Amino acid sequence: MKNILIVDDSATMRRMVKVSLRSIKEISFDEAGNGLEALERLALTPVDLMILDLNMPDMHGIEVLKFVRGHRTFNSVPVIVLTTRSDEENRKTTLEAGASFYMTKPFEPNKLLEQVQEFI
Amino acid sequence: MSDANHTEQFFSEFIDELYAESDERLELVRRDLLSLEEFVDKPLIEQNLLDALLRHFHTLKGLAGTISLKDAEELTHQMENYLRAIQQEQITLSHKGISVLITGTQILEQSIAAHRTQNPLPTITSIMADLTVLVSNTSPSQQEEPSSPSPLPPQNNITQIWQFEFVPTAELAERGINVNLIRAHLEEIGTVIQAMPRLTEEAVGLAFDFLVETTINETLFADWCNDHGLTYTLHKTQPASPSPNEESPPLSNEHSLKKSPPPSDKHSLSPTITDPLLASSNLVRVDMARLDELMRLIGDLVISRARQANNLNEIKDILPISQWRSLQETNLAIEHQLRDLREGVMRVRLVSIGTAFERMKFVIRDIVGDTEKSVNLELSGQETEIDKFVVDKIIDPLLHLVRNAVSHGIEFHEERQSQGKPKAGKITLRAYTVGDAMIIEVEDDGRGIDIKHVAEKAYAVGLIDEAKDSLNTTHLLEILCQPGFTTQEQADLTSGRGVGMDVVKNTINDLGGFITLDTQMGKGTRFTIQLPLTLAIADALIVSVGGQRFAVPRLSVDEVIEIEETAITILEGNQEIISHRGKVFPLIRLVHFFHLTEEIKPHYHALIVGNTNNTMGIVVDRILGEREIVVRALHDPFIQVPGIAGASELGDGQIVLIIDVAALIRIVQQ
Repeated sequence: MKNILIVDDSATMRRMVKVSLRSIKEISFDEAGNGLEALERLALTPVDLMILDLNMPDMHGIEVLKFVRGHRTFNSVPVIVLTTRSDEENRKTTLEAGASFYMTKPFEPNKLLEQVQEFI
Repeated sequence: MSDANHTEQFFSEFIDELYAESDERLELVRRDLLSLEEFVDKPLIEQNLLDALLRHFHTLKGLAGTISLKDAEELTHQMENYLRAIQQEQITLSHKGISVLITGTQILEQSIAAHRTQNPLPTITSIMADLTVLVSNTSPSQQEEPSSPSPLPPQNNITQIWQFEFVPTAELAERGINVNLIRAHLEEIGTVIQAMPRLTEEAVGLAFDFLVETTINETLFADWCNDHGLTYTLHKTQPASPSPNEESPPLSNEHSLKKSPPPSDKHSLSPTITDPLLASSNLVRVDMARLDELMRLIGDLVISRARQANNLNEIKDILPISQWRSLQETNLAIEHQLRDLREGVMRVRLVSIGTAFERMKFVIRDIVGDTEKSVNLELSGQETEIDKFVVDKIIDPLLHLVRNAVSHGIEFHEERQSQGKPKAGKITLRAYTVGDAMIIEVEDDGRGIDIKHVAEKAYAVGLIDEAKDSLNTTHLLEILCQPGFTTQEQADLTSGRGVGMDVVKNTINDLGGFITLDTQMGKGTRFTIQLPLTLAIADALIVSVGGQRFAVPRLSVDEVIEIEETAITILEGNQEIISHRGKVFPLIRLVHFFHLTEEIKPHYHALIVGNTNNTMGIVVDRILGEREIVVRALHDPFIQVPGIAGASELGDGQIVLIIDVAALIRIVQQ
């Protein structure tokens, strides 16, 4: 059983991600609506993959990502950043901060599915 | 299935949720833009406000993109750019700027609405040109970058700042104690000015630090903290000593205002500021249709219960009295519980009228624009709650009344000053509840309605038969609400659009409410809207007339009196009047009105209805009792009768017709 943590402040977005991925067998989801909650989940439950939004009210996704990469136990969790379309600069910053993959919204469910399957 | 098709179908399943979320965000944008307006031409802008606006626009951009609204996406992107340039102190917020943002938001709203209703999208060429001009006044660096550490919200210098440390553990999480709960509680203690994670060597390798500003004494939170695994220390108001993973910004009053963001530090974590509006994660969004269904089921239950009560009465003589009594007690208990259930569901549907009122600020600002007018809007009772369905329906009528008040009611500066009025006009929106009804008042201190002018015009177009100088307010309102009636030679742009007074009145009537008018030349105009708090189920008086039963909504009845035949005075044209409590008012006999067989009696009952201007008595034979009725509207044109609002089933399976009191008043007044 693989556990995926979906981090997005929009509940609709989280649900859309879940629906796109539900064809994967042996999978479970954890959700977080803000950065702090996401880090708490990572610390307390085994997470195999994180899908992370950048634009969130309390902690920016980049900061979440940097924190994850600096942590001694969960620093190796693959992180797919799923964010609103932006420029190349943003993509570069995100990948430099340690994102495993960068995808923009609106996303194609099949593409996301393919990508997730590569990491788990 | 092709990928594109698959994607399209995938998104269509979420479309309603996406629309709902856009609406919520637009609401926040509107609110924040109004606050932002106070900072026009000021060198310092509250940073939190800019951050929030940027976030809302960014989310809206994402939502627009998700529903393939390219124009709206570009538009939000450009508005974001402008705000970001302000945030980075490349430009100051100008009057023009705020106008463009407001217009942009309206176009955005229209685009989303048009997309939803599959209507043609509004064009964005001109607004985009405006934005481009605004943005081009800045230096070229325009990249989107991760949000930089935000300075702190306004602080009170007498208060203390405490630092709390929370180390999450599996054991605490099992008890339901997690970072969200901690944060929510700290927000109750005071203002959370910082919330950030910290790497540690112990336990799960993670701790959360919160800085909370509060006037509350330590003793009030000490126990709670011990219980919830929280440690705390008093934080200095001096610059904090830097820790390995963070750079705490110095805490001082200037930080409540905008400062240029410090360069992004690779190892720094942004201090985070919670937005209470977004943090409320214990809310669920429910499809209105489900609530309607719930209400319908309760309606069915109410009818079944009434039927049972009826059956109980029929078997009263057959059953031993003790058994019957116990059945009767259960029946009464069910009646009470049903009422509680109904109220519970009704409460779920209630939303505060405040958001509807807030929108009016926007409208006023929009109409006043560059004209020689100024208007102050006063709101009261924004927290008053009303059925969601009713709020949605009442927005258009309110918009119309407010637009009218601004464009026809409130005078220009010069005219006001020459009359000794304050230069700025005042529009007041008030909401309050009276019993089961909600009252909304729209009042202006403008020039009032020129009744003589309306009467002339009405005579000219044949709405009244004789030329008059005066009209009573009911009649006046009646004329104003005639489809197409206008005293303006030419419908002007602002109030000419959207709905007319006829639609205002019909909408309110459809909701089971009514509207009245008070106006005084030179002093102002007040529209009073009365609405039932909920639809579908209402308390009603069951009356009998000529052997038939009717239901009269309790809400519209002020008083029930007994009248002697001899107390009735007959005027010319067979109009009957009666004097009661020093007032004289007309009577309407339902038996005549509905052409039923008259029962000659020495005395009758009359239901006193209407307000001070149009009181009248509805004469009935008997009052049979008070019941909860489930209102079913009569939509079939063949059975629509003036004076009848709908039908309801009583417990005995019989149908009663529900009297449309507002319509009767109208008919009698004519």
